[in-house]
Amino acid sequence: MVSTGTEETVCRLVREYSDMLLHLACTRLSCVSDAEDAVQEVFLRLLTAPVSFRDAGHEKAWLIRATLHRASDIRRQAEKRNVPLEEAAWREAPEPESSLLRAVQALPEKYSTVIHLYYYEGYSIKEIGKLLGLPAATVGTRLARSRERLRSMLKEEIV
Amino acid sequence: MNWEEYRKAMDALPFSASFQERTEELVRQQAQSEKECMMMKKKGFVRAVSIAAAVALLTVSAYAASRWLSPAQVAELHEDPVLAQAFESEDAIKVNQTAQTGDLAVTLAGLVSGENLSRWTSEADQARTYAVMILESLDGTPLDREDFPLTEYTVTPLVAGFTPWSVNSWTLNAGVSLLERDGVLYYLLDVQSIEMFADHRVYLAFYQGSAPNRDTFTMAEDGTIQFAEDFEGPCALFTLPLNASKADPAAVEQFIAGSGLDREQFTTVGPDDGTTYTTHETEDENGKHIEIVPQEPSASELAR
Repeated sequence: MVSTGTEETVCRLVREYSDMLLHLACTRLSCVSDAEDAVQEVFLRLLTAPVSFRDAGHEKAWLIRATLHRASDIRRQAEKRNVPLEEAAWREAPEPESSLLRAVQALPEKYSTVIHLYYYEGYSIKEIGKLLGLPAATVGTRLARSRERLRSMLKEEIV
Repeated sequence: MNWEEYRKAMDALPFSASFQERTEELVRQQAQSEKECMMMKKKGFVRAVSIAAAVALLTVSAYAASRWLSPAQVAELHEDPVLAQAFESEDAIKVNQTAQTGDLAVTLAGLVSGENLSRWTSEADQARTYAVMILESLDGTPLDREDFPLTEYTVTPLVAGFTPWSVNSWTLNAGVSLLERDGVLYYLLDVQSIEMFADHRVYLAFYQGSAPNRDTFTMAEDGTIQFAEDFEGPCALFTLPLNASKADPAAVEQFIAGSGLDREQFTTVGPDDGTTYTTHETEDENGKHIEIVPQEPSASELAR
């Protein structure tokens, strides 16, 4: 069992997983400060809704899923905002220089996650399946479809 | 597409250099504030218990309904909305049976079986059973997860007619998560579907200890299972109200054949040969594995 909920344990998780979770949140959020908010809230949630994980894999999977959920919530809230100043602030978030990163961020959530975990984090299809609780075949299909979409968005061939 | 460009762009994102430091500080502040809040709650809790004792007319179920998280809420707290929905579905079995053991009350809240009911396990596409068991103290003292580590307490299904050491959480590839809310502990069991055994009496056991053995359980000639008479420690045994029509003898056969155990070990208790068992824990990228193996006799035992 991997115990969580104590400040020492959560601080360890902050040191261990911050980088990975921040980058992952940026597949759904174009503003880095929003990504930082999302990840910070996930770590704080471990204190208020403590869960004991059966192993380190479950712990990592929980953090990934919670981050993706929170990032999606923030993105949806931002899209619904009507206050002009806030909209302006959202729009002022600097656009990434990479057209590929922009394209990944524009993908539906289920596709951007597998693309990022596969190409940035270097997880295998089987490992991504375990992390996201999906059959490996589904991950493979999503990976293929997301590449097709990206190809169409970028209008160039995969190298 | 140039994935190297993607990696470089990701690496170049301008995250705050002090993010970890700020977050750790925030965690410490929040933890301190939680501790202060918990002390306030405990003071209030003593008063609440006194009032509850005075209003003894409250039924157990009404008390439970206002106090416990539902299985669906437990699943929600595990960030598993699909499982939460399953616990609310018509297929879910609400049990809400409570057993008292020592100064604890153990409640089997409910269970649900099926495929693709959870996002957590990579085996969700195979039939699995999920059950929520609740543990609280009879005198209202808040329980702490640290006092009930998953390595020292067991939640396991057992099946009448099959020895407890052949059909249990270990052989059925189970996982258990533990969550604490307001001094009550919630176990979420995720195990290979036990509906295949539905034409037998199927139990869910909770006890202090590790994998089932002869010191923990006895199996009578008619196959019924009980805790050993001299078993000490918190324990509870529930019979699950499964629908016998869902039994799948072919799947049971497949389970036995794939277990690597002799068929005889499933149904025959056999004489106690004095073998004791030891656990070997190993950890890899997939998590912790606990292997239970017969203990090698010592040199002095061999000499005897």
